[in-house]
Amino acid sequence: MNPLLAQFLAEANDLLASVDDGLLQLERNPGDPELVNEVFRAAHTFKGSSGLFDFPELTRLTHAAEDLLDAVRGGRLALDSGMTDDLLAAFDLIRGWLAHVTAHERLPATAGQDAAGLITKLRAPLGGGEAAAADQETPLSVRPIDPPPQWLAHLGTEWLIDTATWLGTTSSTLRFVRYLPDQDCFFRAEDPLHLVRQVPGLDRLAVIPPESWPAAEEYDEYACLLSFVVATRAAVGELDYLFRYVPDQVTVVELDAAAIHRHLEGEDEAEFAVPAPPPRPDALHVDPELAADARAVLTAAHRTLAVGEPAGTQLAALSASVTAAAHALGVPLDLTGADQEAVNAAIEGLLGRAPVEPAAEPPAVDHPVIPALVAPPAPVPAEPTGRADDPGGQVGTRVLKVDQEKVDRLMELVGELNVAKNGLTFLAAAAEEEFGSRALSRRIKDQYAGLHRIAEELQAAVMDVRMLPLSVAFGRFPRLVRDLSRRLGKTIELVTEGEDTMADKDVIEALGDPLVHLVRNSLDHGIETSDERVAAGKAPAARLTLAAVADGDAVLVEVSDDGRGVDPVRVKRKAYEKGLITEEELESLSDSEAVDLVFRPGFSTADQISDLSGRGVGMDAVRASVEKLGGSVTMRSEWGSGTTTRLRLPLSMAVTQVMVVSVAGQRFGVPVDLVVETVRVPAAEMGRVLHQDVVVMRGEVVPVIDLARALEMPWEPDSARDLAVLVVSVNGQRIGLLVEQFHREVDVILKPMEGLLAYAAEFSGTALLGDGLVLLVLNLKEVLGLAARVA
Amino acid sequence: MTRVLVVDDAATVRLYHTSLLQEAGFEVAEAANGLEAVEAAMTTPFDLFVVDVNMPKMNGYACVETLRSETVGTAAPVLMISTEDRPGDADRAYQAGANLYLVKPVAAERLVRVATMLTAGKDPEA
Repeated sequence: MNPLLAQFLAEANDLLASVDDGLLQLERNPGDPELVNEVFRAAHTFKGSSGLFDFPELTRLTHAAEDLLDAVRGGRLALDSGMTDDLLAAFDLIRGWLAHVTAHERLPATAGQDAAGLITKLRAPLGGGEAAAADQETPLSVRPIDPPPQWLAHLGTEWLIDTATWLGTTSSTLRFVRYLPDQDCFFRAEDPLHLVRQVPGLDRLAVIPPESWPAAEEYDEYACLLSFVVATRAAVGELDYLFRYVPDQVTVVELDAAAIHRHLEGEDEAEFAVPAPPPRPDALHVDPELAADARAVLTAAHRTLAVGEPAGTQLAALSASVTAAAHALGVPLDLTGADQEAVNAAIEGLLGRAPVEPAAEPPAVDHPVIPALVAPPAPVPAEPTGRADDPGGQVGTRVLKVDQEKVDRLMELVGELNVAKNGLTFLAAAAEEEFGSRALSRRIKDQYAGLHRIAEELQAAVMDVRMLPLSVAFGRFPRLVRDLSRRLGKTIELVTEGEDTMADKDVIEALGDPLVHLVRNSLDHGIETSDERVAAGKAPAARLTLAAVADGDAVLVEVSDDGRGVDPVRVKRKAYEKGLITEEELESLSDSEAVDLVFRPGFSTADQISDLSGRGVGMDAVRASVEKLGGSVTMRSEWGSGTTTRLRLPLSMAVTQVMVVSVAGQRFGVPVDLVVETVRVPAAEMGRVLHQDVVVMRGEVVPVIDLARALEMPWEPDSARDLAVLVVSVNGQRIGLLVEQFHREVDVILKPMEGLLAYAAEFSGTALLGDGLVLLVLNLKEVLGLAARVA
Repeated sequence: MTRVLVVDDAATVRLYHTSLLQEAGFEVAEAANGLEAVEAAMTTPFDLFVVDVNMPKMNGYACVETLRSETVGTAAPVLMISTEDRPGDADRAYQAGANLYLVKPVAAERLVRVATMLTAGKDPEA
């Protein structure tokens, strides 16, 4: 993809996000001028950038949206939710298109059809387009009536007869314009149709096709072959002004009833061509396009002197631009110290002399794309200026947009560096054991220590790059809550807090689905309708809060509502009916334990499954996906006043510290977060309670699981030696794991199990160690479950 | 070296204008809004400004007015390029002190042609 398009797509994402965000905020604070401006600006910038590419549908749709926003901005329209829906729909469609552009570098074939309805909808509040300027009663100019030109015929005889009658009865006149756009006006960024549509007081418009269309294979779709004939009530001055950039392509005549009758009777003036200034003997031989640009500069300067009183720097700049234009036309000119009048006179002299453009051949370009799209510009090497006061390069851009893949690649390399670094420790051990050189071993260890520090810092730096604010995860909710609350007929205020809290992008991305589920649950089951709320003595509008806060190396995300909460009695009864709990538990479970039942697989309290959250996915899936991230979920609820679900997630999933242990000669990893301590217990101190090995530590009875047995590996502990027990904390419970040997702690990049191995739930993933060994990292929860089944 | 400051809040448009001008041999700096442009112009002399109209913090009209005011006081040519094409938009640009007003998107060769023309007479010592 060419860099310009890539840049556009990257920028478009940000702009569309701010449009969405602004629109939703606007719904809550209608008429906030700051917000309207913000949304309008984003839409406007987006439209401007889209115009660089050949995506006409995209530009058209954005334009319609922008015009609507402009009307809101100008106070001509009040934004209602119907309009907001249309605007959101338009930008959703655009987002879909951009995804297609990202993949195929063009809009989907259906873009035109998809956009048509929306454009109509968006334009509807504007009265189907800007109403033509109200007829201004222009005082009748004492302009002579022109001879009727032949091209009046394009307007249709019937209409001409009617108009002549009307002009006769009102003894008024009408202006007629013929506009012959240049064939290659596209390449000068002129838009003839747009220009014609801007003619005020438009009475009739005829679009005239060329006498003969070129053959299909020679057809150049970027050559303008159409011309226009217009009847308008606008004053001649207005028309001159409107067509000020293309005066040589326009003919304006003023006609009354008699003149039209003369035309109808066939007394046309001889058809005259475009009124070109008489060829002058001293017409200069200059590149026609350059001449056109020079003339544009002169016209601009002329206009400046007409609308303002430039003085000082302004006048100096104006004189300089006039001099430059004159220079381009090959006329030496010195306006140093000239006053306005002198400059004006110089301009008028020059404008009389600027050569008229011949109708140029359309340039042989077969794409509207600008050269920059065809050939990416070669980077220009910065010239060393050696001057301290010359910043030269970028002004004010301190933010780099980096492709995610590049960052991921960096992260991978950091992981590999860590693995390679770990290899040094093995080398140090080998130096001592195999080669008997303790000195060398120590030097390798020193080298390792230095390398380790740098690798750690590098890792931290890359991780920092990968950090994103939680607002990225929260971003989709204003829209979701709005759409769902409207569908459910509930009034909900969404509050977000702590969206600046940062976490690794993988965590942020993985957080999306669980959050959506929790929010849907809240809207669906937790929050009552306004009537219910009022009956319960609450405010009619419910409040849903998304809050994030950093907590050491973890981030806490809470979804809370002030809805009806979870009814512990009802939950227990449901769980009992579904056979999830026994009769004793039904009696003995506390309210908070009862709330926790909603996380059990197969539990759903919704009496009727709605289309929102009744997708066969329950809170158990939320818990599972959060735990897969290395996090945990807890829920607090107070019956009648609301529910809070708290997710606790690691700041990053990229690097995990694991403790290496071995069983039956095979090494396994256990996440360090879960490790409480390592102890050696004399075999005699191991006790048994209810067929369960236990060990008493500091007065606490800790059950001990034989890891080898849980993993079905052949190994018997040597009863003559002390037993190695790794004490871990799982779900708040202390459990000892009987292992063969403890090893060190290592930092690893955990890779999830893939393919068929993804079903091996007892492992949370694999990691590559420095000595090349593939380490299986245990998922202790599952392992303990296995142990229970084995026992 | 002829120095140009490209002022536009749309990164894509900036990139477009910058790469065209760089290819044509100009030395280009960028600013994302009027305020940044004024700051840049106060520290570095530029031979040409290419300015967008609609920008946050300080729009193009105000930016050009400031460039022409005593604060900055530059008489370097200003080319305004905007999507706005309503009657009066160009006049506002001229009143602010712009020397040419073009409507986006400007064809590549035209931008380079106009930039070259407007900076042709600059004092090489400047």
